[in-house]
Amino acid sequence: MSDTESLEGWVPAIGHGVTLEEVVERAFDYRGNVTVVKADGTRLEGYVFNRNRDVEVPFVQVFDRAGAGPLDIPYADIRTILFTGKDTAAGNSYAAWLRAKEASQQRLGTPLPPGA
Amino acid sequence: MSVPLSQMWAVASYVIRQRLAGRTRYPLVLMLEPLFRCNLACAGCGKIQYPAQILKKHLTVERCLGAVDECGAPVVSIPGGEPLMYPEIGRLVSELVARKKYVYLCTNALLLKERLTAGVFEPSKYLSFSIHMDGLRAEHDEAVCREGVYDEAVEAIREALRRGFRVTTNTTLDGANPLRTREFFDAMMDLGVEGMMISPGYSYAKAPDQEHFLRRQRANELFSRILADPKRRWKFNQSPLFLQFLMGTRDFECTPWGNPTYNIFGWQRPCYLLQEGYAATFKELLETTRWERYGKKSGNEKCRDCMVHCGYEPTAVNHTFASWRGFRDTVTATVTGRL
Repeated sequence: MSDTESLEGWVPAIGHGVTLEEVVERAFDYRGNVTVVKADGTRLEGYVFNRNRDVEVPFVQVFDRAGAGPLDIPYADIRTILFTGKDTAAGNSYAAWLRAKEASQQRLGTPLPPGA
Repeated sequence: MSVPLSQMWAVASYVIRQRLAGRTRYPLVLMLEPLFRCNLACAGCGKIQYPAQILKKHLTVERCLGAVDECGAPVVSIPGGEPLMYPEIGRLVSELVARKKYVYLCTNALLLKERLTAGVFEPSKYLSFSIHMDGLRAEHDEAVCREGVYDEAVEAIREALRRGFRVTTNTTLDGANPLRTREFFDAMMDLGVEGMMISPGYSYAKAPDQEHFLRRQRANELFSRILADPKRRWKFNQSPLFLQFLMGTRDFECTPWGNPTYNIFGWQRPCYLLQEGYAATFKELLETTRWERYGKKSGNEKCRDCMVHCGYEPTAVNHTFASWRGFRDTVTATVTGRL
């Protein structure tokens, strides 16, 4: 995914071209709150800051919307994850900043130094 | 070189103890992030891009000290976020000083004068304020996206020096103008800072091999021009071998476990820059991280362009103590000032 795209608003349906593992990875990379829909239908809104699938019972770790946590949720208990919160990183990457800086220097006719 | 002898000795004796104990992976600098909150919003800063409930959180002093004891590194760097916004920064620093840890408090300095006036800190050979300065006034204010920050930082540096504190600067040099950067070094030395730390920034972009190579080559050219014929008065608070690596006259591999990072999420895998997961303990971080997946040699494209200090400075320090040649090269560069 490029730094100009965002998953904000994505409502993935597990099994329809996307696996739970892929959605968890995207949620882990996502810099905004998500809503974890559990197998029993309950929902938890919060920030997914970690996941580990190299263990016997793979799990994600979440700080909820109030900041409580970490809450561990096994993969097996997750139906899907909705990308409901604002993506705080959208368009704000360091690479995007460097590109903007280079464009600005070129507009102003400033010669680019090596390494720029 | 401007690192005080007592600090050099603390690091040297620590490294020698690790090597004698047969440890191949050991930390040198703990990157302790008590919070992500900041009073600036610099373009491209990944540290502040979190939802509000995460930005409001911070570590307790006890968790910070637990991490420090668990890790055992002789140097503790406190970046962030802005550590001067941490409500218990005074107590945290005094506890670290009591443990004889060399502390680098990395700050944009906007709150420094206020904290100094309030008596939050005591001068100590163990405490250094590492002021974020990305160049002269125009460059720095552009980098932090706010006018006036350079002047405030300069004023805070003067105040800290007047009160007898150790002060260093930390500078990210991407797209820098070599001549302006050399003028910036002069300006910092004129201010009287103890030393400067420089590093390229980290930018990851999917790119073909040739482009990766060119990025490194351009970075080498930039640092060669900046550091060519270095003035004797310039003092760098970092290994001269790392500076040679930046100039391309020396090649190193990354040591991602050298500067481990601890924050509200736990121990960050694998390094300060990449966030590929978290371990609950330092032991778990060391033992379960797939280190072979990281560093230039691994072929990981996220690592191929990286020349950042948190991965390569530990390599430079280890190199100093790994052989007589490494030790001789470090001493020679330190004594002569030649890179």
